[in-house]
Amino acid sequence: MRSFLLKLGATLLTLGTTVASAVYVTAHLKNPSAPLQPAVLASQQGGQVGGVTITPGVRQGDVQPVTSTYAS
Amino acid sequence: MRPNTAVQAHHFEALGTNCSLFGVDVSSADLLRGEFWVRELGARVTRFSERSELWVLNRSKGDWVDISLEMESLLREAVRAYRLSAGLVNVAVLPSMIAIGYTRSLGEGVPIATAGESRPAPVLTDVLTVQKRRARLEPGCGIDLGGIAKGWMADRLAEQLGRNVLANLGGDLRAAGPGPAGDGWPVGFAATTVMLCNQGAATSSVRRRRWGEVHHLIDPRTGQPSRSGLEEVSVVTATGCDAEVVAKTALLLGPGLATAYCAAHAQAWWLQ
Repeated sequence: MRSFLLKLGATLLTLGTTVASAVYVTAHLKNPSAPLQPAVLASQQGGQVGGVTITPGVRQGDVQPVTSTYAS
Repeated sequence: MRPNTAVQAHHFEALGTNCSLFGVDVSSADLLRGEFWVRELGARVTRFSERSELWVLNRSKGDWVDISLEMESLLREAVRAYRLSAGLVNVAVLPSMIAIGYTRSLGEGVPIATAGESRPAPVLTDVLTVQKRRARLEPGCGIDLGGIAKGWMADRLAEQLGRNVLANLGGDLRAAGPGPAGDGWPVGFAATTVMLCNQGAATSSVRRRRWGEVHHLIDPRTGQPSRSGLEEVSVVTATGCDAEVVAKTALLLGPGLATAYCAAHAQAWWLQ
């Protein structure tokens, strides 16, 4: 009798977990309109030719630069 | 943010371009030693000098050549760049560079464009083998370390000079440490200023080092100067060498693919 109850409990637990997982996944569908990661902090002209794109890994400053990257 | 600390600066010409070193808590003697290191190593990795290690390797006709530790690291970096760029950054484009007349340093005079034969560059890993302190290059091949050397040297220099320094070798730069005010090293990037902290930046362009209708940036797929539709690309990445590779790759890819490539490999980018 005790063995039967243990098996029944395990089965119910498994079924319950499966149903709960299915409900959770259904309620949390991927949002196709979610923003791209990492988010682009500053973008002029949408990263196209002629535009500067800066991701969160780079900070912008308003001080005089000591040097610059340039073509050589 | 802490108050601005005095920045020691040192400017000089080497590697055929303008170089600048900046440091906080470093002496002018330290920066001068940095200049000597650049000059000494630059003389060993240039393809223009008969006394350089690269000259010997380029004329080794398939024989194994003993190389220095720095040269070994640089050649390994060139192979890594080849893989990172899916073959677009290929140091084995030297025969094409010679075919377009780039046979001497631009400081020695403007190259004379020729109608020499240009052909696609070989698969780098097929023609260049690097082992511990020695290398082998297939006969008929030649390599030019160009921008790879500048980016790699900027990275090494920033490591050697101190904890809070910036090394800019002809636009290939590496910023290490928190900068003079603790919020990064202010660097001009396109029309804006970015604060770099343990990051690198570089610009690849077809507007400089050009003569007549020809410029130095060879597309290894054709063996001809790039006509991708992009003229200049600047990027920020984790290191100076990566920045050089990503900027050049993006420029060669052209406007259609450059943005996606930069989004995958760079932290900031500017395409023109």
